[in-house]
Amino acid sequence: MTARTVASPPLLIGQARIFQMLDAVTKRAPADAVSWYLTGGSQRVTRFAYETIHQDLHQEDAAIYCTAVLGGRLGVAIANRLEPSVLRATLRSAVEIARVAPKQQHFHGFPKTAAPYRLNGFVPATAAYAAVERVERIQQLFRTARARKAELAGSLMTGTREMAVVNSLGLRRHHASTVAGVKCIAMARGLSGFGSAAHTDIRLLDDAAALERALEKCTGWGAPRTLRLGAYPVLLEPEAIAEIAGWLTFIAFGAKSFQEHSSCLAGRIGDRVLSPSMTIVDDGLDPRGLALPFDCEGTTKTRVPLIERGIARGIVYDRRYGTLYGRASTGHATSPTETEGPVPFHLFVAPGTTPREALLRRLDRGILVTRFHYINGYLNPREALMTGLTRDGTFWVEDGRIKAPLRNLRFTQSIVEAFSHVRGVSAETRLVADPAQEFGATVAPSLLLDRFTFTGVSTQ
Amino acid sequence: MADETLLRQTIAHLKRRGAAYAEARTVCRLHESLAVENGQVKNVSLATDAGVGVRVLVGGSWGFACTPQRTQAAWRRAADEALAIARASAPLNRRAVALTPLAPQRGTYTTPCAVDPFSVPLAKKLDYLFWASQVLREGPHVTRTSALLDFYRTEKHLLTSEGTDVRQTIIESAAMIEVVAQSGEEVQRRSYPNSHHGAYAQGGYEYVKSLDLVGGAAQIRQEVVQLLRAKEPRPGPTTIILDSSQLALQIHESCGHPVELDRVQGTELSYAGGSFLTTDKRGRFRYGSPLVTIVADSTVPGGCGTFGFDDEGVPAARHEIVTRGIFTGYLSSRESAAKAGLRESSGAMRAESWSVPPLVRMTNVNLEPGDATLDELIHETKRGYLLSTNKSWSIDDQRLNFQFSTEIGWEIAGGRLGRVVKNPIYTGITPRFWGGCTGIAHRSFWKLWGIPNCGKGEPTQSMHVGHGTAPARFAHVLVGRKRR
Repeated sequence: MTARTVASPPLLIGQARIFQMLDAVTKRAPADAVSWYLTGGSQRVTRFAYETIHQDLHQEDAAIYCTAVLGGRLGVAIANRLEPSVLRATLRSAVEIARVAPKQQHFHGFPKTAAPYRLNGFVPATAAYAAVERVERIQQLFRTARARKAELAGSLMTGTREMAVVNSLGLRRHHASTVAGVKCIAMARGLSGFGSAAHTDIRLLDDAAALERALEKCTGWGAPRTLRLGAYPVLLEPEAIAEIAGWLTFIAFGAKSFQEHSSCLAGRIGDRVLSPSMTIVDDGLDPRGLALPFDCEGTTKTRVPLIERGIARGIVYDRRYGTLYGRASTGHATSPTETEGPVPFHLFVAPGTTPREALLRRLDRGILVTRFHYINGYLNPREALMTGLTRDGTFWVEDGRIKAPLRNLRFTQSIVEAFSHVRGVSAETRLVADPAQEFGATVAPSLLLDRFTFTGVSTQ
Repeated sequence: MADETLLRQTIAHLKRRGAAYAEARTVCRLHESLAVENGQVKNVSLATDAGVGVRVLVGGSWGFACTPQRTQAAWRRAADEALAIARASAPLNRRAVALTPLAPQRGTYTTPCAVDPFSVPLAKKLDYLFWASQVLREGPHVTRTSALLDFYRTEKHLLTSEGTDVRQTIIESAAMIEVVAQSGEEVQRRSYPNSHHGAYAQGGYEYVKSLDLVGGAAQIRQEVVQLLRAKEPRPGPTTIILDSSQLALQIHESCGHPVELDRVQGTELSYAGGSFLTTDKRGRFRYGSPLVTIVADSTVPGGCGTFGFDDEGVPAARHEIVTRGIFTGYLSSRESAAKAGLRESSGAMRAESWSVPPLVRMTNVNLEPGDATLDELIHETKRGYLLSTNKSWSIDDQRLNFQFSTEIGWEIAGGRLGRVVKNPIYTGITPRFWGGCTGIAHRSFWKLWGIPNCGKGEPTQSMHVGHGTAPARFAHVLVGRKRR
């Protein structure tokens, strides 16, 4: 048997089978109401470094959440196999929990219907991507890096995902999608560079461009300089913006942080909070991101303006927080056991009209940042005070030209302050995602900011 | 067919199909989670996660596949998939994987546990949370309260082609309470016994009862109000004393991760990064002051990194990582140890679940206690801060430049604790920071903390690890941030 014939991932469970099995167990449920949420799929993740594939895995799994309601009391049980006996046992567990759990004051019921959507994110070529093709692709990446006298590390992944919601009120939803992603860390003479790409279609995954971006950051430069710490103008590339935006999802744009007043938007809806150049929306149905059409409660995702030309416009809700605030759910419920509340996972930072190269030319004396590492936004969420480090490509820029690489720098900066002084937004955007790690994605441009405060440098 | 029979058939099949090495590992994990928020039940759930993972070495390359199904056909398919993956990679890999030798291991390990947490009625557990929650909510300015309990039972069975056959049952218990308070634009939070996910340990229900959530609630309810009125620390270099929970995370980020040998060898470059503790530094690099001895110990009772055998079957052991300030050892696997020329694995190969291959992970990475009391550490400090309970954490991809903030701090002046300070941030460079360690409290102050969300690998594996620490003092640490 050859690798090419065995390596096709298993077929999807499929809408018909999921609905049939969940309907069958739901019909006889000893509960007032039942809701099932299934998420599952398979993925191949190949990790490589220094001319070696050091990890290559095929993973398949599912999580099937059952929420049972008895007299306003809720119980949740979770299993990972879609088999009648397992589903029945899971339902029994959920009902047993509901029998002893106290009544929930803010229970909002399950949705009976949901808005339709049109989205096809499933690409058979991605689902069927074989082991040999994968290795050939990685070999090509190694060859390209070697030709530029660079070492290479990274990962290549492909995956299929299925999501379904079935409840006793008659709601039945199913969505299947595929995803492919590549990450390249190129290394040469003490420098490193980063490039990544993600797409639903492996045939359109531009790994060559990702590698080229990584190579540009680490080849042809001298030794890195150490910079005097302080505030500098910066050009942040899309990967750096996406890292920051990822933290804003948790500390600013979700209903829980809003309710406890730690969000920088709490009490400021309608106020100007950022530069007029900044518009941020969440849109789970936009196929330019890694779209996901409905949430764990089955509600179709709606496009939510979070920041519009610098004005705070809103946050995202699930059914529980929607009830608390007198709003409809925006389709952002997380899993039934998640206590963090609704959060947006499909952010779009609006582009500007200036080409990225023109933004760079506007930078008289400042810093170009490829990406950030290990950002933490818990320092003081009310002002979106964050810290983190630059990684894989930090450069000193003078007179609009890159002059020299810099050692990695730590920033400690209020993002509200930084994003209030935007000098330019690039016309180009990039999808930034790490699909082997997490759902969701950010589409972001490069941002030219007036000042960004660097408080440390990575050195022994 | 019983899982054990399927395991044996799978190993036999893999050997027949030419695997130079093969392992099959079943894992079944129960996770019960209870959450009370603002005095209302937020979540009561029971999760079951079970399956088998198969890892093979063919032609010098690894392949891994898994399945949650419990049929012979599904296991056979996973085994064949793992073989095919390894064979596909082999032509690319220039250097064949080698493993340090390991005699076949047989045995069992079960967490000592006085009260099985799954036997305690849900109503009783919820009462405990409601009681603590009620105390939290009695304070002024409160915008949110949370109280959480988590219990895990993990059953693992590992079989390898070398004859290893080990079974383990690991029981973990965890608890946490948190209060958020607001006054005008000021928002502060306090957690107990630890922040983020709370206090974790191997053990039964007796562990969460011993934490005294109700007593802790009264304490943090007062502290959060103090924080609303507090000032920030004066920025600049000073002396700090870290309480044991914050020191646990300091060790985790600045010692635990950089001594992971696979990371040193470059296999985390595409995600978590590398390490400044390169192999040429072992045995000669001054990591900290002579007071600092750090061990990786998977035998210590109650630790979240305690087990009988790691996920390659290597028996639990205690290894020194830093010996009187000198960097001396790594956390390693059979592969990474062989590649580095070490005689044996340190037994740190762990997988989050059946669906992922093991990686080099922390076990319990512990700071050995010193000989001072906490009062003595404070008394000997002319000026500085005592910092408690982690709030934020960040460290660079080589594990050198770190920054932490804590939920609360207390000013120290003239050897005495003074006013509460809010938003304390401190930053440093790992070997300089540990080089400035001037005192460590003695064993009676030493606590073992569990961290349940140590992230590494692609796909991310979130591991439960442990850190034993006593409060310690550090000189010349940069505290606070300058505002424009």
